[in-house]
Amino acid sequence: MGAFGHYLTGHLATLRLEFWSLFVGGVANGFLYGMIAVGYTLVYGVLRLINFAHSEIFMSGGFGGYFVMKALIGSSVPSGMATVGLIVLGIVVGGTVGALVATLLERVAYRPLRRRNAPKLAYLISAIGASYFLFNLAGKEFGRYSLSMPQPYINHPVFTIFGATVQLYYIVIFIAGVVMLFSLDRVVATTKLGRSIRAVAQDAETASLMGVNIDRTIALTFIVGGALGGAAGFLFGLGTGVVYTMGFVPALKAFTAAVLGGIGNLRGAMIGGLLLGVAESLSVVFVQAAYIDVVAFGILVAVLLFRPTGILGERLGRAA
Amino acid sequence: MKLRLNKTVAAVASSALLLMAVPVVGIASASGAATKAKPTYTIGYEGPLSGGNQQLGLNMVFAVQLAVNQANANRKLPFKLKLATYDDQGDPTISPTQAQAAVANKHLVAIVGPAFSGATAAAEPFYHAAHIATVSPSATRVSLATSGWNNFFRVVADDGVQGPADADYLVKSKGLKSVYVVDDGTSYGSGLAQAVALQAKSDGATVVSATVPGTSQCQNGTASATEYSAAATQAVASKATALFYGGYYCDLGLFLGALSSAGYTGSVMSGDGALSPALIQGTTPASAANGVLLTCACASSSNAKFNSAYKLLSHFSAANATYAPESYDAANAIINAIKSLKKVTRPGIVAALHKLTYVGMTKKIKFQSDGNIAGSAIFVNQVKSGSIVQLGLE
Repeated sequence: MGAFGHYLTGHLATLRLEFWSLFVGGVANGFLYGMIAVGYTLVYGVLRLINFAHSEIFMSGGFGGYFVMKALIGSSVPSGMATVGLIVLGIVVGGTVGALVATLLERVAYRPLRRRNAPKLAYLISAIGASYFLFNLAGKEFGRYSLSMPQPYINHPVFTIFGATVQLYYIVIFIAGVVMLFSLDRVVATTKLGRSIRAVAQDAETASLMGVNIDRTIALTFIVGGALGGAAGFLFGLGTGVVYTMGFVPALKAFTAAVLGGIGNLRGAMIGGLLLGVAESLSVVFVQAAYIDVVAFGILVAVLLFRPTGILGERLGRAA
Repeated sequence: MKLRLNKTVAAVASSALLLMAVPVVGIASASGAATKAKPTYTIGYEGPLSGGNQQLGLNMVFAVQLAVNQANANRKLPFKLKLATYDDQGDPTISPTQAQAAVANKHLVAIVGPAFSGATAAAEPFYHAAHIATVSPSATRVSLATSGWNNFFRVVADDGVQGPADADYLVKSKGLKSVYVVDDGTSYGSGLAQAVALQAKSDGATVVSATVPGTSQCQNGTASATEYSAAATQAVASKATALFYGGYYCDLGLFLGALSSAGYTGSVMSGDGALSPALIQGTTPASAANGVLLTCACASSSNAKFNSAYKLLSHFSAANATYAPESYDAANAIINAIKSLKKVTRPGIVAALHKLTYVGMTKKIKFQSDGNIAGSAIFVNQVKSGSIVQLGLE
């Protein structure tokens, strides 16, 4: 007890010191995970399959944003409205590229299988194949090394919260994350598109009898999920640069977050993402950074042991 | 470009072969009929001149050739020099054969090389038995100097030197008393980081160590780049004034971005694994790489005269020719040893090298009794406004 108690007090002291700094970083990562995770959960809702090529949608969005920043910024340092405009443009372009790639994926890798009533395993292999195709193509075209993202601003501390400085980069993520996730939630809950997504998720056959165009709904679901994934790719690249392999681990974490929150459950994916991001970040107080992934997947296993359907449960086709 | 290089090397190699076949003026015949003719000594080069590591061998052999050409252009020298090349492909299984061929060449008096540590270990018994001095520009395995070969010399620091030298530079030279040591979990990165941490502690600094594994984004690991924000937060919270990173450029680039986001303002140092222009290219924001110290046992040549002469000979830039400056120094060390002798013999050169003090292009060449270079031989470079600049020896 003595040794363990000493260990704990020592670490709790560190935790008090660093808590808010780690928390802020964790929330930023959490928003990114959440934005990717909703893509998994939406597609799972309508198709009952995991789009394992979603990591490459994320990566494509990152490159889309990178090329726009590179073309527009060059060596200048934008400020004021130019900064805001560039960030919005980067998000829009990243989202558009993500949506395009997602559409392409749906057309090439999924729709033909759906037409032929292929077994679920075929979708899985098709997705993994598409993923390898895409990231290797990116490696071939853009080089197999990281590229520094030209910055639309000079990153600097904006304000301090409980002793933790909050950087401009994190604020960009917070604002973008809140706006996009909130809008998505409203779209799915209130619009006609949202209603058809929910209808297809609940019962595709009945929905089609009620006049819902299933193909169109599925295609739009991919577009919405792809747009958020692509935008997340740009935001991620803004902080760490882009490279053809950038999608793999963040997407895997996001998938974890989606399952954590309850796969198919939109708000579950958002909450799962935030929870995972914060838990990971705070874990470095107790264990080395080398254990971050161990902690992330440990949490997943622990939650699923007690709640196999995730935190909010699998509530397919519902906004919450 | 490649074809051109191959042709040039073929020319170098074939002229060397020609020399071996036709002993025009050798050591033995120097005192013969042609009394006015200068004696000609052969300096050998052993290293990879074909195979996957060919470029490294080319970098070296052109520098040796340049040293030989310059010596021959000096009319005051009482001898002429020839270069003979022995291609071991950097392979320890080929190296003994090449070493025996070099030993059998009776005009050959000393060797620049072998280039690789494994090849050196395999070849050295033959050179040692024949009392042929070998001066390696690049073999860094520690044990090479402790195997009892009195003919073994190297003008480059060994693998055990870099970590302690880096720590001394941060703690003693720069006076940074709190060092945060990070490694990427690879055998290279953690080995170097441990050596730095150990020496920094014994230099009286406060040391905190952390392992932040390489990311899948960089092919040196499987971790996620999102871990860097947490790791950077901890580095800042430790209030360290210096951070040492043991690892490679790609992950360091990601980490530098996170450190700048977390508001880290101290010094950052890393080793040869991070010494690459790709570090600057891969750091977001690019300005986060500025000021980073990068150390290496290797020198980069800023000597304009050498660079232009080297380019004229090799048709490629000396700026990227790793180990070319060291090879030039190794060859000149041998040439100076020959100069100091009245009667040039293989064992005589070994003895002369042990006594030699010569100001080379990269550093002062003076050997310890085990053949290692004396004094610090680690170079420190710094990223300055987007490019890597060599500051000098640590």
